[in-house]
Amino acid sequence: MSTYVLMKILESTPDRYDRGIRMLTLGMVDRAYDRLAAHINKGEHVLDIGCGTGALTLRAASKGALVKGIDINAGMLEIAKKRLLDAGFAQNAGFSETGVAELGDETAGSYDVIMSGLCFSELSEDELAYTLKQANRLLKPGGLILIADEVVPGGVFRKIFHWLFKMPLMIITYIVTQAGTRAVRDLPKKVKENGFSIESVWFNRIRDFIVLAGRKPE
Amino acid sequence: MKALLSALGYALVNIFETLIRVLPVPCRTGLIKIGNPGKDAPVILTCNYHLTVERMKRALKGMNAYLLIANSRGINVWCAATGGHFTNHDVISVLKTSGIEGLVAHRYVILPQLAATGIESKPVFLKAGWRIVWGPVYAKDIPAFLNSRQGMPDPEVTSKNFSVPGFMRKGLEKSAVMRTVDFGIVQRTEMAVSWAFPFSLIAGLIMLFVWRSGVAFTVVLIWAVSFVIFLFFPLYARLAGDKKKAPGLSRYTVLFDFNRASLGLSAAFILLVAGYGLLTGNFSTDFMLHAGILTLIIVLLLNLDLMGSTPLYKSGLHEDRLLKITIDESRCKGAAFCEDVCPKHCYTIDRESHLASIPRSDDCVQCGACIVQCPFDALFFTSPSGMIIPPETIRRFKLNTLGKRLVDTAGKTAVS
Repeated sequence: MSTYVLMKILESTPDRYDRGIRMLTLGMVDRAYDRLAAHINKGEHVLDIGCGTGALTLRAASKGALVKGIDINAGMLEIAKKRLLDAGFAQNAGFSETGVAELGDETAGSYDVIMSGLCFSELSEDELAYTLKQANRLLKPGGLILIADEVVPGGVFRKIFHWLFKMPLMIITYIVTQAGTRAVRDLPKKVKENGFSIESVWFNRIRDFIVLAGRKPE
Repeated sequence: MKALLSALGYALVNIFETLIRVLPVPCRTGLIKIGNPGKDAPVILTCNYHLTVERMKRALKGMNAYLLIANSRGINVWCAATGGHFTNHDVISVLKTSGIEGLVAHRYVILPQLAATGIESKPVFLKAGWRIVWGPVYAKDIPAFLNSRQGMPDPEVTSKNFSVPGFMRKGLEKSAVMRTVDFGIVQRTEMAVSWAFPFSLIAGLIMLFVWRSGVAFTVVLIWAVSFVIFLFFPLYARLAGDKKKAPGLSRYTVLFDFNRASLGLSAAFILLVAGYGLLTGNFSTDFMLHAGILTLIIVLLLNLDLMGSTPLYKSGLHEDRLLKITIDESRCKGAAFCEDVCPKHCYTIDRESHLASIPRSDDCVQCGACIVQCPFDALFFTSPSGMIIPPETIRRFKLNTLGKRLVDTAGKTAVS
C-alpha cells in the first residue's frame, strides 16, 4: 500500500547494493575480503553463505577453489553469475537461491571452507545461531570458517563512538540504497560456542568490523 | 489502570505509524507466545511490519497460539509479498530457526491470505515440511476463522510423525467477507493521513524559507486536499479513467501519474489562484511568487500516483493493470486455491464439474495470488496485445517489476 513508494525505489536495489556497502564500510570491505581469501587454497570446496553479488565468491574462485554461493536474493545472484562469467571463473562457481535455514539439506562434512561476508549482520539472532550450528556440521574436520562482518564494539566509549560515527553513514546509505545492516554482537564468543577454535581475529581501529578465521577441530 | 495505559499506548502507536506509513518500520522477528499454547495450538505467521504485529497481538488476545514473525524488511504483508521482499525463504527461515518445531506436534502454519502473492506452499512444504493454510485478510477475523466448523474436508496428514491438530480436524471455513479486501472509510482516512503528513512536512519546511506566514495555510490546504481526494476516492478513480489504455507519459515519471482527474484538478486549482489574483487585483511580485510555489506544491500532490498507493486501484505507471486473468480449463481441476486467495472474490468453483470460473473478472486487481498458488498452472495473465505471462514468470519476478519486464521479455515470452 503506502510502502509502495519505497518499493519503487527498492526495485533497483541489487544494482546499487555494492555501492551502498562500500559507502557504509568506507571501502574497508574490499581489504577485508582479500584478507579472508588469503586462507583459501586451490581445489578446496568452499561454501559462500549470503554471497550477494559475488565479491567474495570471485576471490575464492580466482584462487582455484570450487565455490558454491548461496543467497536468497535472485537479483543479486544474477549479478554474481554474470560477474564470475565476465572474470572467466564461471566453471569454478555454482550459485543457488537458498537461505541459511535451508542448509539442513546439505551433506555433513562436505566443505573445506565456509565463508560469509556481510551476511551475518542481516540475520536475526535465531538465524545466526542456526547458521553457525549448520556451518559446524557441514565442515570437514579441520575445516575453516571465515567471517567478515560488522560487529558491535566492546566497551562503552567505543560503543558511543561507533554509533556517533555510524549513524550519519547509515542514514545516507539508507537514503541512497535502502540497504542497511545490523552489527553482530559477541561474534567470536558465538563462534567458539559452536565448537570452533579461533585461528585469527582482526579488528579495524574502532573495532566495529571483524575479520575472523575459525577452525573445526580435527 | 494497566488496561487503560496499554490502550493508550496502542492508540499512540497506531497514530504515529499511520503518519509515517510510507516508511517501513521493522520489528524483531521470531516467536511470540499468545496465552498458554500447547502442542496442538495454532501457529500463525505474519510479517515484521511493526504496526501489523501490534494489531495481530491485539486481535489474538485471549487465544492460545504461537505467533511467528517473519522478516519482511519492515514492510506490510501485501506490499512485501507482491514486491518480492517477503518470500518462501523468510517463511522457511522462521519455521526452522525460531524453535517452533519443538513446541507443536503438528505442521500447519496459518499465513495471512495477502501473502499468497509471493509465498508458495510447495517449496515451504518440500524444504521445511510445513503445510500452509491461508488465513483471513484481516487480523480481526482470525478468532472467527479458527472457530469455524463447516466446509473444508478432512485435512491431509502432513507426515506419519505429526498429528493433525484440533483446529484443522474440525475444518476451517473462510467466508467470502474474510477473503475480501475492502477500501472503506477507515482505510481511506489512513491513506489520506499517510500522504498528507510527509507531504505537508516537506512543503512546510520549504515554505519556512520562502513564505513564512504561509506555512500554516499550506499545511492545512495539503491536508484538506488529501482528505477530499481519499474520501471521494471512487469518484476520483472514475474521473482519472482507471481503465485507460496505456500508461503513456506516466511510464517514465516514477512517482507521478498524470491522468485526467489529476490534471483537471490541477487546472482548476491554477484557475482558482489566478481568479483570486484577478479579483483582488493584487499582482505584486510577492503574490506571484507565493501563489506560484503554492500551486506547484498542490499540483505535485494532485499528480502523485495516488491510485497506485491504494490496495484496490492500479497504478497508472505500469501496464500490469491492463493484464487480464485467464483460465486454461483443460488444466483446471477445481482445487479452489484461486477462490481461497482471491482478495476480490472473483472466482466461483463448480464443485460438481470440478472447474473454476471467473465471473467477476472485472473486479480483478491483478495481484497475481491465484496464479502463484494454482498447483496445476491453469491460470496466467494475458496482456492487451495477446501476450501470455506464464505462472513461472509471476512466481519468479512477482509483480513489482512487471512493467519493466513486459518490455524486457516481450520477444521471449511472446514466442513461448
